Amino acid sequence: MLIPRRVKHRKQHHPGRSGAAKGGTTIAFGDYGIQALEPAYVTNRQIESARIAMTRYIKRGGKVWINIYPDRPLTKKPAETRMGSGKGSPEWWIANVKPGRVMFELSGVPEETAREAMRLAMHKLPMKTRFVRREGGDF
Amino acid sequence: MSDNRIDAEPRTQFGKGAARKIRRDHKVPAVMYGHGSTPIHITLPAHDAMMALKHANALLTIVLEGEEQLALAKDVQRDPIKPVIDHVDLVIVKKGEKVTVDVPVHIEGNAAPDTMVTTDHTSLSLEVEATHIPESVTVSVEGLAGGTQILAGQVELPAGATLITDPEALVVNVTEAETMAAEGEGDEAADADAADAGTDEA
Repeated sequence: MLIPRRVKHRKQHHPGRSGAAKGGTTIAFGDYGIQALEPAYVTNRQIESARIAMTRYIKRGGKVWINIYPDRPLTKKPAETRMGSGKGSPEWWIANVKPGRVMFELSGVPEETAREAMRLAMHKLPMKTRFVRREGGDF
Repeated sequence: MSDNRIDAEPRTQFGKGAARKIRRDHKVPAVMYGHGSTPIHITLPAHDAMMALKHANALLTIVLEGEEQLALAKDVQRDPIKPVIDHVDLVIVKKGEKVTVDVPVHIEGNAAPDTMVTTDHTSLSLEVEATHIPESVTVSVEGLAGGTQILAGQVELPAGATLITDPEALVVNVTEAETMAAEGEGDEAADADAADAGTDEA
């Protein structure tokens, strides 16, 4: 799973979820991609799960790119704890994804295979997404 | 002249408020410049602009106050979510003039079995006549074995085109396909690493 090796601060504020993606909204490396249509916190487990779903379906051949990285820690207080006494302990690592962001890319497989592989991967993600392709087929 | 004729209107109001009003009226703000002339601010009908700009390097004939002007779409700003165009930059060109454009690379054919075709450069920078811009550059990978590399200098260009991209740049790379077994081993190793990994604070 993706996890930062070293961070400046172990506990951070929740990242802002408003607005649309400022960059990474087009396919940069592969031929097909999964684009986010809603804001969401994507955990490293969800990213890994989506990657495994894709690579298991395409079996051999094909290359997968992951364009997001879970570099933000989220904390959680234990259940039935009184408020106060400091911030909770880091529980998850998340990528703050905003609408428009192309999160995964794929190349080296026919379009039908890519569509099915990405459909399986989309089910592992916590927001509405869509399949996009490189040559003028985005809309 | 190009097939894409668009009737444009001059634009006198600027800023995001005016631009949003233009977009609400199903029009697209645009700017036209080049050949040392002062930039001309115009509005284009949104649907016509969307249809004309479906392909890369679209050559448009802009009709502004009865005068026709040949222009090349230099930059198209699109909304990342909605299928709308936010703004268009047009460069004035003349018939027969040479322009530098990025032409997409199109891969055709099937490489040898158990290989994977990766496109490293998805477009090539070419110098071509403004009125004869190729839609794409075709690279055939039919029957190519693993380990084959096609460089920019080896790509067959359309007549009259000059390559601007570095001829040594890798365009297509044909590699041996990795098997699922190898992928699986990688997964397990990665999971083990993640389990062991602790994140240190600087």
